[in-house]
Amino acid sequence: MSDWLVVDELAPDVADAVLAPLYEAAARGELSMPFCGACGVPLELDQDVCDACRAREVAWRGVEPRGIVHSSTLVHRREAGLILVDHPYPVLDVELDSGHRVVMTTLTSSTTAPGIGDPVEVGFRHVGSTAVPAARVVRAQLAEEKITHPEATIPEGSS
Amino acid sequence: MSTGPAIVGLGVTPMSTTPGGTALEFAAAAVADCLRDAAVGIEEIDGLLVCSSQGVRPDRLGIGFAKGGGFGALRLLEHVEIKGASTAAMLDRAVLAIAAGRAHSVLCVFADAPLRPGRRAGSTYAHSGGTDGVRGLERAGGLLGSVPTYALLANRYLAVTGTDPAAIGAVAVTARRWAVDNPRAVNREPLDVAGYLASTMVADPLRVLDCARPVNGAAAVLVSDRRPNSHRSLIVRGASFEHPVRRRRAGGESWFGGGGSAASDALTAAGMTHADIDVVQLYDPFSIMTLCLLEEYGFAKPGNAGAMALGGDLAPGGALPTNTGGGALSGFYLQGMTPVVEAIEQLRGDAGARQVPEARTAFVSGLGGRNDHHAALVLEAT
Repeated sequence: MSDWLVVDELAPDVADAVLAPLYEAAARGELSMPFCGACGVPLELDQDVCDACRAREVAWRGVEPRGIVHSSTLVHRREAGLILVDHPYPVLDVELDSGHRVVMTTLTSSTTAPGIGDPVEVGFRHVGSTAVPAARVVRAQLAEEKITHPEATIPEGSS
Repeated sequence: MSTGPAIVGLGVTPMSTTPGGTALEFAAAAVADCLRDAAVGIEEIDGLLVCSSQGVRPDRLGIGFAKGGGFGALRLLEHVEIKGASTAAMLDRAVLAIAAGRAHSVLCVFADAPLRPGRRAGSTYAHSGGTDGVRGLERAGGLLGSVPTYALLANRYLAVTGTDPAAIGAVAVTARRWAVDNPRAVNREPLDVAGYLASTMVADPLRVLDCARPVNGAAAVLVSDRRPNSHRSLIVRGASFEHPVRRRRAGGESWFGGGGSAASDALTAAGMTHADIDVVQLYDPFSIMTLCLLEEYGFAKPGNAGAMALGGDLAPGGALPTNTGGGALSGFYLQGMTPVVEAIEQLRGDAGARQVPEARTAFVSGLGGRNDHHAALVLEAT
């Protein structure tokens, strides 16, 4: 089954030189992030040297799949040949509770973008055969459980 | 006669919004125009610096232009690469090389031809980037091209500063007011707020009219310590760069912040303050960046750039004439050359109906990456 948003050609290689630990963990349904192996500070996804202690030891480990929206946008341009949906779609910059920031879209098709500060849980989409992190907006999920009209529970756009 | 290095020539091709021509062809045309403007023969050129847009096309302008462009033996030849800050870096490199006695007359050239048959420039950018590394992960999440990227920056900036989102549109409308009187500009039809709001949304809050207008074209600037037209020459009084590190980590802003020392150091080198600057020419790939950079560079108090844009300060007749040729939004997007070209025209008094009266000093900026590379130049008329 294909992803809801993008074509398979945008699937990253699981054996990516930088992000293989993320994709390998994601395939097991786990969210793994890089930390300094010496001092424990959360590193950027492509950071080789710790800016806090200068150690060159990157340790990937599982983190809680939760965070908040640091920024978001609703993308109206659907790039022909790359984007599958025929409606605007959200892109989120998520700040994980672990301290990392990761850009992702939502787990399932959405026509709105959550607002800055909204809590999210992180699951996984499958682009081609590669699992990638994706956000589930907690507020919308809770509301949908209580209200029988999902259309009425869509969170407001980000602007 | 030999004096210190100065900007003595400017060459600019017509800006094409339709496919046709190669970067090398445009570069050659801009060089010919620049040599004509400076009244200098190509045999006098002993330095050539080139820069180009990155990654998208294999046929970009490079050091091969030294042979292809008809130059003789050179003492200085480099491809300068710090993304959108490259043009300012070329001018700085030229000034330093001449001051060090390494060359006398250095041409700085930028050319681009992103418009190809069958695909819009934005689409070309969206299809480039691959599936590797962090960019590959982001692209798998739907972050294609630079518009959604800067939309994330824009929404974060608006939320943190409390800026009225209408200020973004004010920047775009102001740019068009300047462009109406710029013969080089590609968007010269008058534009009001209603017209702006009718513009197609690309990635909220950025509309088509918030985005740089790609063109096929080129510009060349001659820096020399020989001044055949000395009354038209300009001095680079100060130059500085800042490459801030913003960690994508909880507790800090990662989309904006930094660049201020480039501006303050360039002004200090020039012996000037912000108040001494007559015109501001910013690298404005998106309208949001004019707001962001005016604050970063100290021309607006933090959080106040939006009010300045809405209040008309940046417009013709305003207190801080900014991007006076229409910038990249309504003028033309030749990356870092856009602000340089307009600064030269203003300080020469060649800006016609959009001329800022008695403009003697200009602040010019370059911007690369995701707000990662900042360049600042202070230019002064002689």
